[in-house]
Amino acid sequence: MVNDYNLSSRGGNTSLFGRLDMTAVGLYIALVIVGFVCITAASFEEESLNYLSFSHNYMKQLMWIGISSVVALVILLLDRRLFHMFAYPAYIAGLCLLIACLLFGREVNGAKAWFEFGGVRIQPVEFAKIATALMMARVMSSYSFNIKRLPDLMKVAGVILLPLAIIVLQNDTGSGLVLCSFLFVLFREGITKYIYFPALFTVFLFIVSFIFSPEAIFSFLLVVFTMFSAVKTGAIEAHLRFLAGVVLASIFLAVATPLSGYASLMIVTGIAAVALGAVALKARALMLLWPILMFVYAMLFVPTCDFLFEKLEPHQQNRILTFVGMKSDPMGIDYNVNQSQIAIGSGGLFGKGFMEGTQIKYDYVPEKHTDFIFCTVGEEWGFLGAIVVISLYMALILRLMRMGERIKEPFGRVYCYCVASIILFHVWVNVGMTIGLMPVMGIPLPLMSYGGSSLVAFTMLIMIAIRLDASTDDGDTLYNI
Amino acid sequence: MAPNSGLQRFFTLRYVVFLVFVVLAGRLFYVQIIDDKYKDLATSNIMRPEVEFPMRGEVLDRYGEYLVRSRVCYDVMVIARNIPKTGFDTLRLAEILDITPERLERQLKRAKQAPRAPFLITGYLSQEAKLVFDEGEFDGFFTRFRTAREYPRKVGGNLLGYVSEVTEEQVRKWEYYSSGDYIGVGGVESAYETMLRGEKGVSYRIYDTHGAAMGPYKDGDMDILPVKGLQLTSTIDGRLQEFTEELMEGKVGAAVAIEPSTGEILVMVSSPTYNPDLMVGRQRNNNYAQMLHDQRNPQFNRAVKAKYPPGSTFKLVQGLIGLQEGVLRPTDMHPCHGGYSYGRRKMKCHDHRSPIDLRDAVATSCNAYFCYVFKDIITNPKFENIAEGVKTWNDYVYSFGFGRKLDSDFTGEGKGYVPTPEFYDRTYNGRWNWGSVISCAIGQGEMGCTPLQMANLAAIVANRGYYYIPHIIKHIEGRDSIDRRFYERQYTMVDSVHFVPIVEGMWRGVNVWGTSGGARLEGWDVCGKTGTAQNPNGRDHSTFLSFAPKDNPKIAVSVYVEHGGFGASVALPIASLIEELYLTDTIRRPELVERVKNYPINYYHYDKKQREYDLRRAKQSAK
Repeated sequence: MVNDYNLSSRGGNTSLFGRLDMTAVGLYIALVIVGFVCITAASFEEESLNYLSFSHNYMKQLMWIGISSVVALVILLLDRRLFHMFAYPAYIAGLCLLIACLLFGREVNGAKAWFEFGGVRIQPVEFAKIATALMMARVMSSYSFNIKRLPDLMKVAGVILLPLAIIVLQNDTGSGLVLCSFLFVLFREGITKYIYFPALFTVFLFIVSFIFSPEAIFSFLLVVFTMFSAVKTGAIEAHLRFLAGVVLASIFLAVATPLSGYASLMIVTGIAAVALGAVALKARALMLLWPILMFVYAMLFVPTCDFLFEKLEPHQQNRILTFVGMKSDPMGIDYNVNQSQIAIGSGGLFGKGFMEGTQIKYDYVPEKHTDFIFCTVGEEWGFLGAIVVISLYMALILRLMRMGERIKEPFGRVYCYCVASIILFHVWVNVGMTIGLMPVMGIPLPLMSYGGSSLVAFTMLIMIAIRLDASTDDGDTLYNI
Repeated sequence: MAPNSGLQRFFTLRYVVFLVFVVLAGRLFYVQIIDDKYKDLATSNIMRPEVEFPMRGEVLDRYGEYLVRSRVCYDVMVIARNIPKTGFDTLRLAEILDITPERLERQLKRAKQAPRAPFLITGYLSQEAKLVFDEGEFDGFFTRFRTAREYPRKVGGNLLGYVSEVTEEQVRKWEYYSSGDYIGVGGVESAYETMLRGEKGVSYRIYDTHGAAMGPYKDGDMDILPVKGLQLTSTIDGRLQEFTEELMEGKVGAAVAIEPSTGEILVMVSSPTYNPDLMVGRQRNNNYAQMLHDQRNPQFNRAVKAKYPPGSTFKLVQGLIGLQEGVLRPTDMHPCHGGYSYGRRKMKCHDHRSPIDLRDAVATSCNAYFCYVFKDIITNPKFENIAEGVKTWNDYVYSFGFGRKLDSDFTGEGKGYVPTPEFYDRTYNGRWNWGSVISCAIGQGEMGCTPLQMANLAAIVANRGYYYIPHIIKHIEGRDSIDRRFYERQYTMVDSVHFVPIVEGMWRGVNVWGTSGGARLEGWDVCGKTGTAQNPNGRDHSTFLSFAPKDNPKIAVSVYVEHGGFGASVALPIASLIEELYLTDTIRRPELVERVKNYPINYYHYDKKQREYDLRRAKQSAK
């Protein structure tokens, strides 16, 4: 049905710049300009004596846009094979940078994720993302790589988890989670769908473990899985008897011994699960094994989750708790999210106009030019402006995916998908955070948020993708270097 | 893997991207288009209404001279979180605000408990000090326009009342007030609160998140200007009030003067009084506490609240009732041999000739005469029993304004007390006769009157049978008239003709022969009646009731001095001097003024109370 979908249609132009995907370039430029306008609106000071002084954030951003243009030009002029070649060194350098940052970096907002050189702060994570994306592409495009094979899957997992671990150690969990967006890439590359069910189950358990007590979760899962098994095997009566047995045994244990209800339930269900597992294995009833395994997983995961939660910084705990609605604190952690929603919500359909946003102008939105830059869009340009901006992002993401599909070698395809997934994750988390769909994570809005590291890094990410795409018709492949 | 499975996954992922877009757009649609609350929240974020306090209305005396004025002053406020972190010159600020640096530190500490809320550092900053304060540019601090009361004559503490911050209870009770507002307490301030207070205004200003003002909201189009309170013209004669307060100084009691033809209160003094300026400014709380500890209770407005036995002045009422009831004729003679005997008891009287008629009985204030009269009233054969007699007598007394509120425009007016048959039933277990109640004949016993009621009695007699409800405000700015009840004659149950002999007696008592001779004013035909009220706390109370001139009276006065002895000894000269100043505009008897001022009264009963109270307090603070 999709055979006739022509992915490599392109004009007859054969010069490098003629072969650039002008749609992607246009979207990139549009987003940078929109970002600059918003930063100007958010950081403009009417009383300032010199509007063009570089002490203003918008002038600094203008400087970074200039630097990014140079970086973009250099990348477009590089031989595309260099990216393939430098994937390993870049990855190792990225890891070293992260470790160095962990050891010698500067702590900002609780995260030890910054280097500082003479007043300019650099966040290595932004560049580690590029290195990891290149590494992903390199590993997954290697000859005889098959994602369905466990060793190859482990290799990919290693590529993702190594930087992730360091980033989490830096206490920059938000940025670390960006790398999880590579699941998007793995799906494209044909990873077994069985990985998604446990992943979703894990997310489900994670959220549920904050809202309900462990007893409630286990009881619920016990009933659901027993029912599932009962329906699958048809032996309904036996399963009911099993359920009744577990309940009675738990109650007996809780009443007759000094154990708490929770402990009793854990012991009884634990023994029951092990025993059932043994029976299922012996009877080769593999269908039964699945729910038992998942139940055991839940029994291990939920307490671990609680344990890990205790280990989190108080402000991270608060963010999660407020997000799942377990805690409300309008003047504290909720303040940022409330104020950002007020700013966006008050924008209405058409917005209040350029530099007319009261919440922005009077400083009610915190971090209004960095992580909460989308508030300026929402308040000053309204629903229409916000839709235009997220449409630009979606168009860029879809364009990157399409470019990936049209590149013949897996290296370029995987890389483009990596970039698309990173941008998708950033936009989803950042915009979602400003409108209360996601908890607050310190993740910038690509190309729009104020900040040199972020702008340069995203420029590099996107420009490498465009450069790889522009090579499609070169005739040479990456493999015959 | 099928050859196209990669492409299929591409399409699947496109749906994922699209789904993300739809979720974000949907939420944006909800937040920006559907849910309106964010627009209001945004407005309330940046805009804060600020109350603009109006100037409180002034009170003038009857000649247009200020009794109470409002002067501009400022509250100094702070929003703690806007104080620069680098600190500021606290010593200088304390000096400008005229408070100790320690107090400033204490206040700042309290302000920091709610760092976003405006906190009152100190009030009553003068206009000059405010200018200096403004020059200092203390970040985080700002001033709020207020007005404070000012009393040019420094008179009428209890009469005028004072202005105080509203209590929590008042805020809950009345919608108009919010915490920090001022409200009138006592006297005119409280009675005319709704007129004096004006209307609060409001101005909307934009604030940034740091609390710095960024200018008016919508160019001030929504602002409401405060409306100044109304100016009141009182009936009080400021000079006479001041003079009377001077005369009453050192004495405990009250003096009230009324213009009989209108019911306007010319003077209302409750002694001890206090300087109303003490109730304004930063020392207010200290002064107030000090007054609370004073056992003579300067905050108690004796003129309208006290319950004094009227003493002999009440004989006027008995005579009038007797005449109206037909049990007494002016020419009736009654004997008096040092008193009136009933049963085994005797109501004593002073030495005077006997027998005498009504006029002379009034003039000499004969106890026995009015015992006969009172007995005749309540034991009138037309009544089935004595209870009915007392009941009828009650009705007459009520019609004179006793035993009930006069319904003046003064808040906190007391009722006094007139004993009823029910009262005697309760007290004597239902077994009582005229002898049990005979002390009422001469205004003793259970009778209790406020000085205002007694002055009103003087006005009734002056008017020969009616009165206008006494009042203290005669004109309200912007209004043609005051309440209509003040223009209506209130008739007593006694006909006008019966007043002739009584007035004659009062005139004689002053001008011919009697107890009130000292009240004589050449050419003014003063009429008067002394009273000497026995009481259980010590020396007799001295009281005098008077009006002048006899025809077309201009002033009716009642003076009551606790433990002042004979009516003629201190109450009479005070009343006489009030009349002299009011009628002749001068004082020709400076030696009398001196005598009154230096008249020794020993309030050993109050002093004892004070000593005991102080001792108790000392013990408590020692604990």
